[in-house]
Amino acid sequence: MDKDELVEYFRTQVRQDPEVPSAVAAIRTLLEFLKRDQTGETILGLRENLTQTIRRLEEADSSVAVSSGGELFLRFISLTSLEHPDLSQCKKVMVERGELFLKKISLSRSKVAKLCHTFIKDGAKILTHSSSRVVLKVLESAAADKKRFTVYVTESQPDSAGRQMADKLRKLNIPVTVVLDAAVGYIMEKVDLVIVGAEGVVESGGIINKIGTYQLAVCSKAHNKPFYVVAESFKFVRLYPLNQQDVPERFKYKADTLKAVEDLAEEHPMIDYTPPSLITLIFTDLGVLTPSAVSDELIKLYL
Amino acid sequence: MPGADKETELKGRIEDFLADLKRGGSGTGALRGSGEMARETTYLLRRITAQARWSSAGDLMEIIRHEGRRITAAQPSETTVGNMVRRVLKIIREEYASTASGTSAKQNMVDHVIDGLVEDLSVQIKSNQILFVTYTWLGHEMATGLSKVIIGTQTVLANGGLRAVNGTHSVALAARHHSTPLIVCAPMFKLSPQFPNEEDTFHKFVSPHEVLPFTAGEILSKVNVHCPVFDYVPPELISNIGGNAPSYIYRLMSELYHPEDHKL
Repeated sequence: MDKDELVEYFRTQVRQDPEVPSAVAAIRTLLEFLKRDQTGETILGLRENLTQTIRRLEEADSSVAVSSGGELFLRFISLTSLEHPDLSQCKKVMVERGELFLKKISLSRSKVAKLCHTFIKDGAKILTHSSSRVVLKVLESAAADKKRFTVYVTESQPDSAGRQMADKLRKLNIPVTVVLDAAVGYIMEKVDLVIVGAEGVVESGGIINKIGTYQLAVCSKAHNKPFYVVAESFKFVRLYPLNQQDVPERFKYKADTLKAVEDLAEEHPMIDYTPPSLITLIFTDLGVLTPSAVSDELIKLYL
Repeated sequence: MPGADKETELKGRIEDFLADLKRGGSGTGALRGSGEMARETTYLLRRITAQARWSSAGDLMEIIRHEGRRITAAQPSETTVGNMVRRVLKIIREEYASTASGTSAKQNMVDHVIDGLVEDLSVQIKSNQILFVTYTWLGHEMATGLSKVIIGTQTVLANGGLRAVNGTHSVALAARHHSTPLIVCAPMFKLSPQFPNEEDTFHKFVSPHEVLPFTAGEILSKVNVHCPVFDYVPPELISNIGGNAPSYIYRLMSELYHPEDHKL
């Protein structure tokens, strides 16, 4: 399976099922690659090939989740006893574990929604940022639980993703209002809680998310409103940024921009980093975590 | 038949305990104080382990979970009861993981470990610079220099916050304002896996007759009086809990309880 086939397969997966997280599509692609791969003759060779494939997928989609999901997948399938003398046996074990991993993470969004919707009380006013499928699932579960609440969504320029989120919420009959990104401070006194998704959760317990999240967090801290993050566990990434500049460039901009543009200083970054001191709780499929508990869970995942 | 007798006796004891709980909620019944409640719960759970019919760890856990649900429903404001049930469930999981022997051996081992649970955790107050003052004078005393403020609590929540008796939040705010360390002493059975803004966290209100007696007359028909029993103290105001920072509570929680037992 060569580079173009890979990227094509990945893009088809994303197109066929827009609800699926991009990391899940990437992992399906990796699994397919593993099944079809004929060139690997040793386990080390297989791992090398898979690592190369992850790099290629990152070039197609620069989000943090693809990178972290890919690495977790690789660790899960290869850090097990592969003592069979026959390579094809080992490959079979790896493919089985890969399927298991995929099944586990397909359920993670529902687990997160189940944990989080109890924190939404009747009559609550919720503020969210941009478009997150996990937040959508949480709000869907809360609505299915017969709770009445209203949602404010930030427009989230430059791609107006907030408007798409508002459309999806309207389809679920949830009263929703789109607000300007600049109106966050204005609207904060009205809301009861803030829920955002995350593209990545870092070791310090902070998050990487669409640009504007940091602002939202600072504002909600100033108004003493709880700031909740919902994220699946495959988004846990081994980074420890100390400030906005520490976030690697390859995550900050879209994949096309990285390839096309020479001088990135002129470009607007698409993501920002929110430090753990501004976050109240993080909801994952591993449970409800305080930001300080994230590093423990991360270590357990990666070891 | 001796078996049937034991079962009816066990059921009788459970019903008695439930009745005590329902009465004891306001502190005037037979069970007073969280420590005693925790001990009584552990005795009851030990009896259930010894006398109920079960053939596998899964069965026992199901029985304990079922009784646990009934007990916590009887008095939701007493979180210690639920915590002891979760602790026992965790002990059973640990025992199951570490042994592979038959039923009777398991039974003995579980009993043995529950016995260990029944030991009380004593609180040691080491400093000799403590002034016991009433709440009204606390601000004054803090301004002139207290070395530390030590409080107890009804429950320690999973985010490191407290559910303590009314007035504690004011004390905590005053301590923060005067930069006096606030220390909380609490035994392990008060650690609860609940979060403060979750749906089924509760609050308890009592009759305000001590504050506004029924003899106050006309005013009673014109006002609504709420008398909450507990206060929420956020984790930011606490300096350390038993030698642990509030942000470390999640670690203690994972040692005491299993995540699947958070909802009984």
